[in-house]
Amino acid sequence: MIELKHITKIYELNRADRVVALNDVSLSIKEGVVLVLKGASGSGKSSILSLIAALSKPTSGEVIVDGKKISKLSDNFASVYRRDNIGFVFQKYNLIPNLSVRDNILLPLVPLNLDAKDAEEKLALVMEMFHIAHKANAIVKNLSGGEQQRVAIARANINNPKIILADEPTANLDEKLSLSFIEILKELKSLNKTIVIATHDPLFFNLDFVDSVVEIHNGIVR
Amino acid sequence: MKNKINIYLIEFAINAILRQKYKSLFVAVVFILLTFLLTSVFFITNSIKYELNSTVEALPEIIIQKTEAGRVQNIDVAEVDRILAVKGVSDAYARVWGYYYFENAGVNFSIVGVDKFENQYKNSLAKIVDRFDFGEADSPLMIIGKGVHESMKKNYYKEYFNFIKSDGTLKKVTIAGVFDGDTQLESNDMIVMSKETFREIFNMPQTKATDIVVKVANSSEIATVVSKLKLIYPNSSIITKESIKVSYQNIFNYKSGLFLALFIISLFTFFIVIYDKVSGLSSEEKREVGILKAIGWRVDDVLKEKFYEAAIISLFSYIVGVGLAMAFVYLFQAPILRDIFVGYSELKPSFELPFVFDIQTLFLVFFLSVPIYIAATIIPSWRVATLEADEVIR
Repeated sequence: MIELKHITKIYELNRADRVVALNDVSLSIKEGVVLVLKGASGSGKSSILSLIAALSKPTSGEVIVDGKKISKLSDNFASVYRRDNIGFVFQKYNLIPNLSVRDNILLPLVPLNLDAKDAEEKLALVMEMFHIAHKANAIVKNLSGGEQQRVAIARANINNPKIILADEPTANLDEKLSLSFIEILKELKSLNKTIVIATHDPLFFNLDFVDSVVEIHNGIVR
Repeated sequence: MKNKINIYLIEFAINAILRQKYKSLFVAVVFILLTFLLTSVFFITNSIKYELNSTVEALPEIIIQKTEAGRVQNIDVAEVDRILAVKGVSDAYARVWGYYYFENAGVNFSIVGVDKFENQYKNSLAKIVDRFDFGEADSPLMIIGKGVHESMKKNYYKEYFNFIKSDGTLKKVTIAGVFDGDTQLESNDMIVMSKETFREIFNMPQTKATDIVVKVANSSEIATVVSKLKLIYPNSSIITKESIKVSYQNIFNYKSGLFLALFIISLFTFFIVIYDKVSGLSSEEKREVGILKAIGWRVDDVLKEKFYEAAIISLFSYIVGVGLAMAFVYLFQAPILRDIFVGYSELKPSFELPFVFDIQTLFLVFFLSVPIYIAATIIPSWRVATLEADEVIR
């Protein structure tokens, strides 16, 4: 269960320049549901994902995940929380371009210092699941947008997280690849993962497996 | 079970170095150059210090030179008996020696005259006199140092050498052997021959000597003996081993001063590189740290990885730099750099730098470079890693 209670997020670029990204937002997301956050660019959708992932802290209000106040976590505990609970698919994928597919997917496991056998098993599983095994040794910067996204999804799932966050996942994909991504989401939902998608792509608004669509406008939930 | 050392983190660090190959190469080259220069200079310094100390240790305690109008003159051999009468003096020897300028090679040879039937004032000479015969007056022989041997060979004097006497005629002296002295600096340019041959070449009468060396049995009495000798010879120059040591060190320190400029330049270059690193990471590096944080790396994971990266580059460069310096100094005898310290090499034949292993030097260079570089890598990474990940990757 993810709860956002009276969240306000203000970005202060400098003293004169303040951006209110979220203004007293409250939201509740039950376990295993697929929620779509829709809204125009700059409406505050990405800020909500960022707060759920503990990538940033709210200016005021609380983010509670499974009863834990994650908005109060220290930096190191926030990292551990992300590693164990969150799979984040970024809009620009945020892969390391000069690393291979294999090495990119394995990145979240590096600090865990797992046995090679365990790591390889997890790697094989996600590469198979997201159909990227055939590109295991390819350098990421040489892949197409769709392939890069599958690498990002595989990386987000290597630790088998409970929550998947996807920020504008189809922004850089054509329709065919977008449909393929939706199939992947369906598969993830079948694994009982909680999925939050921030998008302004209408493709997501009428999908049968989406449980709710929430509209954000100028930092306020409508 | 978890391994203590995270091999994946080290692998990632190696990957990161290879991904930024031009930057890594630049840092490694600067680092190797700095380590190489510093270590080379320290190695040369240690070797020369060792040589100088050995040379000075082999010197007699007191040397008396006769001076007239401030210029050194030959001294009467008969003065030896007068000096022996001074209390505290255990022995005194009249030395004949001088420099012979070999114009073809542009070098000076130090020539020492010895008498087979006299006690020698130092062990190295006694050994030579015991080992070699200096021949008859009509077919004189000489023992030469390695450097002299090289210079003569280059000028086709392989078996003998023709000295030009003061009257312009030639004196042929046969090479009877090549010797190793107590130290290379001392013996390299040395020629030992009989006093008789020496006197003939330099036209020095039998009653004269170049100077007189004095041995004192108890070293704590040297100052007293010197003051007694000064009373007997008020116009003579009385030189102690200590004063020679000081003048040698002064020359050496002056040479070291010249190096200081080189030293400052290399340090300056190193600190520019360090400043560049400390002043911040590139946007690509920042983004990478942000990505790692976003996918669950903790601050200490990021810093460990950066530590491995910096340690691999700096340790590799340090080892290569020290290895190159060893080869440069001891294998190739430090061409160019050595001349800064032994600047009078035009007048003296070359000598070999002896291998002196000094662990302190290696530690000093290590602590002047490796930890500084590691710190300069970790500090900016720590700054970025402690920012909100969202702020960095946005």
